[in-house]
Amino acid sequence: MFPKQNDRLQVMSHAVVGFPTLEENEKAIAGLVDSGVKLIELQVPFSDPVADGHTLVNACYEALKTGGSVKATLELCAKVSKQHPDASFILMSYLNPLYRYGLEQLFRDAAAAGFKGMIIPDMPVEQFEPFMPLLDELGLAPILMVTPNTSDERVARIAKSARGMVYVVSRMGVTGKQTQWGEEFHAYVKRIRQHTDLPLAIGFGVRAADDLKALTGTAEVAAFCSKYIEWQRDSGSDVAAQKMKTLLTDAELS
Amino acid sequence: MIRSENGYFGEFGGRYVPEILLPALTELETMFNELREDPSFWQEYVTLCQEFSGRPTPLTPLRRLSKELGGAQIWLKREDLNHSGAHKVNNVLGQGLLVQRMGKKRVIAETGAGQHGLATAIMAARLGLQATIYMGADDIERQYSNVFWMRQLGAEVVGVTTGARTLKEALDEALRDWAASVETTHYVLGTACGPAPFPELVSYFQSVISQEMREQALTQMGQLPDEVVACVGGGSNAMGAFAAFLDDKDVGLVGVEAGGLSFKEGEHSIRLLPDTAEPGIAQGYKTLFLQNDDGQLGDTHSIAAGLDYVGVSPILAHLTQTGRVTPESATDTEVTEAFKLLMKTEGIIPALESSHGLAGGFKRAKTMRPDQHLVINLSGRGDKDIFNIARAFPQPEWPEFLKREAERSQELVDAAKENR
Ligand SMILES: Cc1ncc(COP(=O)(O)O)c(C=O)c1O
Repeated sequence: MFPKQNDRLQVMSHAVVGFPTLEENEKAIAGLVDSGVKLIELQVPFSDPVADGHTLVNACYEALKTGGSVKATLELCAKVSKQHPDASFILMSYLNPLYRYGLEQLFRDAAAAGFKGMIIPDMPVEQFEPFMPLLDELGLAPILMVTPNTSDERVARIAKSARGMVYVVSRMGVTGKQTQWGEEFHAYVKRIRQHTDLPLAIGFGVRAADDLKALTGTAEVAAFCSKYIEWQRDSGSDVAAQKMKTLLTDAELS
Repeated sequence: MIRSENGYFGEFGGRYVPEILLPALTELETMFNELREDPSFWQEYVTLCQEFSGRPTPLTPLRRLSKELGGAQIWLKREDLNHSGAHKVNNVLGQGLLVQRMGKKRVIAETGAGQHGLATAIMAARLGLQATIYMGADDIERQYSNVFWMRQLGAEVVGVTTGARTLKEALDEALRDWAASVETTHYVLGTACGPAPFPELVSYFQSVISQEMREQALTQMGQLPDEVVACVGGGSNAMGAFAAFLDDKDVGLVGVEAGGLSFKEGEHSIRLLPDTAEPGIAQGYKTLFLQNDDGQLGDTHSIAAGLDYVGVSPILAHLTQTGRVTPESATDTEVTEAFKLLMKTEGIIPALESSHGLAGGFKRAKTMRPDQHLVINLSGRGDKDIFNIARAFPQPEWPEFLKREAERSQELVDAAKENR
């Protein structure tokens, strides 16, 4: 399940469903779990992923060619959540594929497939609010995003509907580029903490053991996604899993 | 002017963007809501359009062509006579006024045909701003003369090589840039699409077209037009041409979309006719998108880069649903024929985008009476389409000239290299 506030940092990693293939996803996820990763996002590939940088954009295009879809994502989750009962799977998707599926049905099917939470970057909190009773009933956590320029008033509103954890976008921009973990960042994290007791997941720009060390003691979760997909793309899932293991050792998190 | 309800037009519109873009959009919305209640702002805008872009643009009767077709009297609203050669500059000049008030020093834009990019580059040069224009790599090839001028004007033109390499991908990339730069950069969205307040804001500035048209019609025809016809890409020139007539129920409003090669999936950009696009939420807003059952946005085609887009203005989606706007389409072939007909009969060279409005308008005019009046919004001029038209009507002297010109250009480049 999700960590609790002040738990030691853990890494959340990523799969783009269909990248490089649907079969390979299963193997890659097993590798991640073996390496010690217990939080894994399964991303529904999308034709127009506007919050993502080139690595994930290209992975989406590849995945769409190999059969990645909402249905494939639900099927994959049903399998891997049984195979790895100690890992938690999080549905990551842009809104349109889910909207086309039918949001209410999607939420029900996602919970049934074993998803514990959802990250939908282009679904603002206002759109989640009417679904909150259903989501609470299903135990499916909307993991909502805050960004450095989100006003206090809005962080408060987001915190009210957030469940599981709050996704703290570390900086301006899209996924895939380095972030500086300076004073400004720490003040930002402190500001978010004032609005929520949920654990914080830091995402965007976590790319090396040094980043994880910098975040240890600051946040409960670090999203290590684009860099992992680059490993997978360049060296295959087995090597990517080994690199993940080394990363966790180097960051003193294993 | 049409007003949204909290950014929605019926079920369409809204603001579905990553959290990071929300502050800039609400800031823009607040500013827009204040300014449009201030009559002196509209006056400032109209004066700027007059001084810089030659507005009001004329309403030109097509006497010879109307007689030849034998139906309604056809008129053209001459947006092609704007500075930069298309209606796009109206919206850009308006947003330029907003940029000055915000104090931002950099602008970005997406562009399809390059007309919006060109207008943005012009505005940036005039106001001393930095400009980055995102354009699909395939559109760069199709509309190179506009790319050339944008670069000469000092704008950076970034080719987008993902996906179908056209307008949809350019818009995605502009949104990505904006997510990183929003605190110092204004996104000059080029059509009546995208997250609120853009559809409403762009339509507001473009409504200068129909406000003029209305007065000109009363003076020149002695009545309101029976029909107003416009091509529909994202929908900004159509909204501009329709806005002032929305409450005049006797004025028919017709939007002509790109019928492309055929009605087959991926071979057209028709979103408003039945059995084409479906409701979806992407690129920051809800509208009718061409898409598959999994909600993946589809491929489009049009001979006109400016109409080659997968979504459509949420305002037009709504007005079509309510029956106020009648959707039509014209194929690539019908479009090149209409292009030629206007050029040869009236001495006007239209843009290929606008030629969709011509094709649709001519067809309708033929079914109308000679005492009726039909206005076609001629959204842009055809200079930018010189290469496309040369292809549509191939002649041996054109490639021969291009070869000679390529050699001359290469010699100059080589000589410059040696001198360095
Ligand atoms: C001349 C011209 N007409 C029409 C369009 C289509 O855009 P819209 O539907 O927003 O008017 C474009 C777009 O590039 C254009 O350049």
